[in-house]
Amino acid sequence: MPQMPKRVKYRKSQRGVVKGNAQRGNTVSYGDYGLQSLEAGWLSAEAIEAGRITAAHAVRGEGRLYIRVFPHKSVTSIPAETRMGKGKGEPEYWAAVIRPGMILFEIAGLPEANAREALAKVAYKMPFRCRFVHRRPSVGKA
Amino acid sequence: MADTVALKTEKRQGRGSHKAAKLRAAGRIPAVLYGHKEETISLSVDHDELMHAVRHNTRVVDISIEGKTEKAQIVELQWDCFGKDVLHVDFKRVSADERIEQTVPIELKGIAPGIAEGGRLDQPLHTLRIECPALNIPTSIRVAINDLHLDGAIHVKELKLPEGVKALTDPEAIVVHIIRPKVEPAPGTEPLGGSVEPEVITRKKSEEESEE
Repeated sequence: MPQMPKRVKYRKSQRGVVKGNAQRGNTVSYGDYGLQSLEAGWLSAEAIEAGRITAAHAVRGEGRLYIRVFPHKSVTSIPAETRMGKGKGEPEYWAAVIRPGMILFEIAGLPEANAREALAKVAYKMPFRCRFVHRRPSVGKA
Repeated sequence: MADTVALKTEKRQGRGSHKAAKLRAAGRIPAVLYGHKEETISLSVDHDELMHAVRHNTRVVDISIEGKTEKAQIVELQWDCFGKDVLHVDFKRVSADERIEQTVPIELKGIAPGIAEGGRLDQPLHTLRIECPALNIPTSIRVAINDLHLDGAIHVKELKLPEGVKALTDPEAIVVHIIRPKVEPAPGTEPLGGSVEPEVITRKKSEEESEE
C-alpha cells in the first residue's frame, strides 16, 4: 500500500517551487549503493511503492532495501468538467518533493552487478532521470 | 596499510569562488594546509592525483610546496551535491610520532551461516572511527563473519583491530548482525487502509475549542 503520513497539521498544501539541488539527503548513508535523482519533481507515493516492489524482488532473501524518501506533500485536484472557483480541490495523492541529487533508494548486501541491475529496474519506474551511485570514500574524522 | 603518496601542490593566489571555479576548470582542486600551529597555506592540487590517492585509501600524503615536503592527513573532502566532483580538500599537518583520528571502512569477509538458516545480513556500521599512528593507518577493518549465526551480532568491542589501533566508536555498537526477516502479509490480505486520510492535528484543536 502506498505510504502517507499518519498525522498532518494541514490537509492541503500549496504547490511550491522546487528550487536548486539537494543539499542534504544526497549521500548513500545506509546501504552500499544508491539511486540518485538527476531532476527535480514530485515523486508520488504510488511511484515509491512501485520502486519498492521492483527492488524487493531483487533483494529478497539476500540484501536489504532502504527507501530514503517519504511522501509528505498532499497534492490536490478538482474533478473534471468542474467550473472554476468553489475553492481548492480535494487531496488526490501524496508525493515526495525531489531535488536533483537526492538519494531515493539504497541497497545493501548485494554484489554490485546485482544492485546495479535492481536499481536500473527501479529507475525505469521513476518519473525522472536517475543514476546509480556508490558510497563516498570515508575521509578524516567524519 | 596504505602507501604514502606524494602530491605536487602549488600555492594559490587570490581568493573567492570565481578564482576557485577557474582552478577547477583547469583540472586542479583548491586546498588548504593547516595544523601544528604553523601558517595556514592556500594550495591547489591536481584533481587526478588526489582522486587516485583517495580511491586507493591513502589518507596521509607527502605534500610538496615550493621544494619543501610536509606530511599531511586528508581531513575533509567537500563534494558537489551530486557527489561527482571534489570541490575542496583540507590537509592537516601530521608528524610521524603522532596519533590521529581517522574513519576507515569496514569490510566483511566470508559467508555467514545465518543467511543459510533463513536470516538476513544487516550491517548498521559501514565505517569505524579509530585512533592510530599517523603513518600506520589501516586501509580497512576486516570483519570475519564465518561464525555469525541467526540472531548473532558482532559488536565494535569484539573487533580484532591491528596493533596500535584503538576504536573510538561506541564499543556496544553493532557492526553486523543476522536478523530474522519480517513476515510480509501476502498480497490481497493487507488491510485496505483503516484511515484513507491522515489525522489532521489542527482540526482536533478547533473542535475542542468549539466544545468549550
